[in-house]
Amino acid sequence: MPSNEEVFEKVREALMDALGVDDDEVTPEATLVGDLGAESIDFLDIIFKVEKAFDIKIEREELFPEDVLSNAEYVQDGRVTEAGLAVLKERMPFADLTKFEENPIVQDFGNLLTVQDLCNYVSTKVA
Amino acid sequence: MRWFLIDRFTEFVSKQYAVAVRSISLSEEAVDEYVPGIPAYPSSLIVEGMAQTGGILCSQISDFEQRMVLAKIMKLKMNAEAVPGDLLTLRAELQTHTADGAVIRGVVHRGDFVLAEMQLMFAILDDDRFQNIQLFEPAGFCRMLRVLKLFNVGVKEDGTPIKIPEFMLEAEQAELSVG
Amino acid sequence: MRFTQLDRIHALEKGEFIEARRCLALSEGYLADHFPRFPIMPGVLMLEALYQASMWLVRVSDDFENSYVGLRETRSMKFKGFVQPGDSLDVRCKIQSRKDTLTTLQVAGSIGDEKAVVGRMVLESYNLEERGLVDNYLHTYTISQYKKMFRLLCDQMNPDNPSKLAMSNS
Repeated sequence: MPSNEEVFEKVREALMDALGVDDDEVTPEATLVGDLGAESIDFLDIIFKVEKAFDIKIEREELFPEDVLSNAEYVQDGRVTEAGLAVLKERMPFADLTKFEENPIVQDFGNLLTVQDLCNYVSTKVA
Repeated sequence: MRWFLIDRFTEFVSKQYAVAVRSISLSEEAVDEYVPGIPAYPSSLIVEGMAQTGGILCSQISDFEQRMVLAKIMKLKMNAEAVPGDLLTLRAELQTHTADGAVIRGVVHRGDFVLAEMQLMFAILDDDRFQNIQLFEPAGFCRMLRVLKLFNVGVKEDGTPIKIPEFMLEAEQAELSVG
Repeated sequence: MRFTQLDRIHALEKGEFIEARRCLALSEGYLADHFPRFPIMPGVLMLEALYQASMWLVRVSDDFENSYVGLRETRSMKFKGFVQPGDSLDVRCKIQSRKDTLTTLQVAGSIGDEKAVVGRMVLESYNLEERGLVDNYLHTYTISQYKKMFRLLCDQMNPDNPSKLAMSNS
């Protein structure tokens, strides 16, 4: 099983390659969308590269449980409800949702994931 | 100029790979005068040849129902320019295919020499902005595929021939009507 | 000239950056095929526009001494928007680093404030005659033609246009 450093290095390489960013931009705290400029189409690229680097299979719904956000049960007035947050936490144990919880606006969800979250997710897959 | 950047398919196995050929001629507008005095074929058009080879490989998976466009050149390495008289062989291999798009790896050979290598990503146009947008007329698109010999060489994974989709045949018949 | 993918060069600073524009018209033949029902500039022609702008920047930065300036590599070239007939693609290419014959550039094209294409590319430049690939006549002819093309691409009615950079030592 690769160490956390090894996972980070490989993820960093994939992100630099997919997003055309420099190595010093890819910090653990950087958000994929806001800080590194990832767009919808880039996630296909990122997932493809990370799958290759670690020889794993990634389901997009695992990484981005968008179905929760399109479920009326879990969203009210553009915000994720308590119940919705509970589901997200359960579905995304690899992500740090503390900040999102403070102001759970659905639109901000896309900008949630950080490099560290992606590394955590990969670690659960290679374990 | 027209926008057919491959001459014809020579191999095509659904969901796996496609091979096309392209010959480069001095009489092409884009070759003569591109580099004054030293005729050469623009590298960007080699990429387009691969995008057409790979794009048809990817959209055949949905029987050409999905609208796919080149979204990203993930990688491109050009080892040389193509020059008049070259016969290029373009081979596209499908690497991944999801609900969002597809990735192909492409290698362009001139004889044994690897002229170019690339990795291309195609996106499926599915968001709201593209709801009413069609790219091709089905009959015209089908005629292009016929001209490219796709249905002459194309096979499914089990080796049986790729058939012309029904909606294309119908569009062709409608177009034949003189009225 | 037949395959020029730029209409005008607006600004150029040697060794630094170039700004140029490409306007798309429905009269361009390939739009009939790309696509018959949705005419848009093929992504690879955006790539070509970015390469040509980068090529001019490299040629001018080296005082037109190299006859060959070709595309070697691109990295993460992303097409973010469609260029439709009537649109102008504003191209900006910036030199990131230079090492021996290779120049790495950050390149982008925008329509108004919206980025339509971004990426990086590597160009290689050298003297074809020194490498024994062409004779002195063709080497010199090629360079003289590039200087003339560069003059055409710059706004000659603007006294401050960058084409002075090409003509200064010829």
